[in-house]
Amino acid sequence: MSRENNIAVYTGRKVIGFWKGIKNFVDFIISIIHSFQSFKYLRFRSIYDIIINQTRFTGIHALPFVVFIALLIGGTVIIQSMTQFPKFGIEGFIGNLLVIIIVREIGPLATAMIVISRSGSAITAEIATQKQNRELLSLETMGIDTKLYIVFPRIIASIISIFSLMIIFDSVAFFGGYLISQLTVYIPVDVFIRTLLDAFSIEDFIATILKSLIYGILIPLLCCYYGFMPGSRFEIPIYVSRAVIRTLSIIFVINALLSALFYL
Amino acid sequence: MAKLEKNELRVGLFILIPMVILLFFIMLKLGYSIAGSTIDIYLKIDSLTSVKKGTPVKIKGYTIGRVVELIPVYRPALHFLATMRIQKEIELYEDCSAIIQNQNVIGDPSIELKNPEKKGLLLSDHDVIEGIEYVNLEAILQDVHVLLTTLSKTVNIFKQISLDSRYHLRTLVSNLSSSVSNINRILADSQKDIIAVMSAFRQTAQTMNEISKELKKHPLKFLFKGKK
Repeated sequence: MSRENNIAVYTGRKVIGFWKGIKNFVDFIISIIHSFQSFKYLRFRSIYDIIINQTRFTGIHALPFVVFIALLIGGTVIIQSMTQFPKFGIEGFIGNLLVIIIVREIGPLATAMIVISRSGSAITAEIATQKQNRELLSLETMGIDTKLYIVFPRIIASIISIFSLMIIFDSVAFFGGYLISQLTVYIPVDVFIRTLLDAFSIEDFIATILKSLIYGILIPLLCCYYGFMPGSRFEIPIYVSRAVIRTLSIIFVINALLSALFYL
Repeated sequence: MAKLEKNELRVGLFILIPMVILLFFIMLKLGYSIAGSTIDIYLKIDSLTSVKKGTPVKIKGYTIGRVVELIPVYRPALHFLATMRIQKEIELYEDCSAIIQNQNVIGDPSIELKNPEKKGLLLSDHDVIEGIEYVNLEAILQDVHVLLTTLSKTVNIFKQISLDSRYHLRTLVSNLSSSVSNINRILADSQKDIIAVMSAFRQTAQTMNEISKELKKHPLKFLFKGKK
């Protein structure tokens, strides 16, 4: 077979693989929607514990890391603006910069990245291990809808965690930014808050809530999808890695689309 | 069980604290204050070209509140009421003026309140005041532009006039110089003639003197001398 044919075969295989992947993911979502028919048989108490534990793991345990990253990012943004803005005579726009960079873009993205790298990989590995240990099979044997029982609580927990983490990230980044700004130039607290509030718009609030909702649904969905995929226990690391990388890519694309939708 | 309760408490706090922060920010953004230490004053305005939601309200340059709502009023003629949510402890009087102005080069508008010289009744919640002045930065810039253009034209005209005048002055001076030289020449030429004329005058004067003497001595002889 010639080299051109090899390239054509490779490209065709990739495109078909990509198409099949999308189709399988859509089928997975449809199967979850169908599994909501058995929602009435599911006792809330049985998923309540999963939601609590998953929120604790995804949100509360990620909190120190999120706070640390937010402080650093807020400080970095302020340091850059403090050194660069006076050159252009726009040092009064620090609040706008914080809102534009942190609230609109970095906050949601950084939070999503932390959740994907911590909890997304854990979800995939956990589900894949349960599948290999035939725990999912035993649940199904008992008549429990595994997709509803496993995916639904994780989506709820993820929405709660990402929403809370985003708000905490933004608040801590503002606080960090304010602290750093005090080192170079004195800005009264009320002036700083007023500048921030002036820079905020209702679109920012709506975008934050919408992003947390979309990320909260997409991240566990994708990670659970890859968790159900491995055929053997040797494939678990491959699918964990794939879940993290692809979820990150999709989140970046969604973020760009949402930003274009809200701010263009 | 106790462990789950502890987790529930943590998760509850983890949800509630960000919610409170978000609500706090939204409330501040909407112009509310936690202490309820604000009053709403309506500002009557003709158009919405400058005032918008969030426009700061100031007194002596100090921000005391902002516009939180804009309500259209259709009768008698279309106008608008801007709801200014301002701090309660600021004393404003009924005859105070509200000047809508641009606060910086970018043109962000602000409402500057000024208390009257003669203090009357204090403004209370939901009172209406009228925006008395509107300074449009764009219009100012346009006026400044027109003024500068006119000034530039005037300077050009002055420059032209001075250039023309210089030429005329030069011509005038050269003409004057030639006139002076002409006069000098005329004077030089007429110097001899003047002496002759003067001597002729002198002779005439002597003759006249002789005639007068003769006339005194023999008036009749002198008169009838020629009638012989």
